[in-house]
Amino acid sequence: MSSLVAHRKAINRRPVGVRVSFQLVQPATPEEAVRLLAGASAGQMSVLGGGTDLLIDIDQARASPRQVLSLRKMPWRYLRWEGSSLVVGSTLPLRTLELDRRVQQQLPGLWEAIRDVGSPALRARATLGGNVGRCSPASDLLPMLIALDARVRILGPSGVREHPVDLVLQESRKTNLGPAELIESLIFPSAAPSTYMWQRVQPVNDISQVGVATAYLPDAPHWRIALGGLQPRARRLSEAEAVLRSARPTHLEQELAAQEAARRAEFVSDKRATESYRRRLVAVMVRRALQTTIDRMPRPAAARKPSR
Amino acid sequence: MTDAALALHINGQSRRFASVPDAERLLDTLRWRAGLKGTKEGCRTGDCGACTVLVGGEPTLSCLLLSREVGDEPVTTIEGVAAVPIGQAVIKAFAEAGAVQCGYCTPGFVVALAAQLGRSKSPPDVESLVDGLEGNLCRCTGYRAIERAVALARKAVQ
Repeated sequence: MSSLVAHRKAINRRPVGVRVSFQLVQPATPEEAVRLLAGASAGQMSVLGGGTDLLIDIDQARASPRQVLSLRKMPWRYLRWEGSSLVVGSTLPLRTLELDRRVQQQLPGLWEAIRDVGSPALRARATLGGNVGRCSPASDLLPMLIALDARVRILGPSGVREHPVDLVLQESRKTNLGPAELIESLIFPSAAPSTYMWQRVQPVNDISQVGVATAYLPDAPHWRIALGGLQPRARRLSEAEAVLRSARPTHLEQELAAQEAARRAEFVSDKRATESYRRRLVAVMVRRALQTTIDRMPRPAAARKPSR
Repeated sequence: MTDAALALHINGQSRRFASVPDAERLLDTLRWRAGLKGTKEGCRTGDCGACTVLVGGEPTLSCLLLSREVGDEPVTTIEGVAAVPIGQAVIKAFAEAGAVQCGYCTPGFVVALAAQLGRSKSPPDVESLVDGLEGNLCRCTGYRAIERAVALARKAVQ
């Protein structure tokens, strides 16, 4: 009995913060952040955005940085439209994007992909910059960013550079960002009819077996298809895109694109699905995503029903 | 490693804690330093919602938030929610609907639902309120009773 009491007391006096330890640095300006990163020894400093991925990695000992650089004070929590392009600061919580009506209307695929990330409370912290910077193969956002041809604005010691997201992503936890570079913002060049679809074993709290993102961009080659749920990261399927030659491809073209996507995707088998099941899923989902995207296109004026 | 003091604004009070490690999560500061044990530790990976608190009025997972990242934003825990009429209405609705079995997930549900109900004068429909609880897991009730509680709470605050 007394040992039980002692045990309870021990639980109630559990020391806190003993699992992991690091020093948190909270620079006040982007310049200071870049300077701190440049001065840190290689691999010793991790960049913290919303923390919904990094902190779990630290807890589970997949990462053990000595220092963590917080982006909390960076002036990057903004969202603005420049004409029809959308500029999103890298540390803006996903929840803010989700609650924005114009984002939902003009970039429906992006809105859907955001809604599929975790829960509202998680989205209150998670960021676009973090999704790109961490390059998780499990991310539901990355295929959509690739399909929408999002640009990444990167700030570093030698100034600012801008690249398509597809060139920035490399593999899990790896991007082509230099050690002292930070993601400042993401730029979506134009509003676009777009769709994001996923398949999971459980609808919530699970990683997608397959994610399919489709978008029709105003600039040629117009159609873009990207897949998630594959290793080492989400990728674009240009071979399947090439089949689609008009804004409203025929059913045959859609079917051919879906088959091409299924043939080209390099899946692996894991505990969530076998390689062949994923392939079957892709064929069905690409066809559905294309059809949904077509349905989201503004109707040509002549096809509109005359108003009474 | 520096263990500096930390000041937080919790449930309307200014609280100061001596020597808080940089790596400490808000969940641990609340439970083990502020003594607010209503907030529960579930999965600690952002999946279950048991640790939900309000930060700046927005439901947030306290297991994935460093205490030092909170800054000046006010933190409201289940203890704070239970002290206001909307929170009390939600708690009463959960009790009346039988939406509490083991009760471990309940504080997270109450915080997340009260935040939604408090956001606007006319509450959203039951379906979107339930949608807003998608990040809260319950292994006991099968959720039906929780859905009834949502409808009851919505009615009560209308």
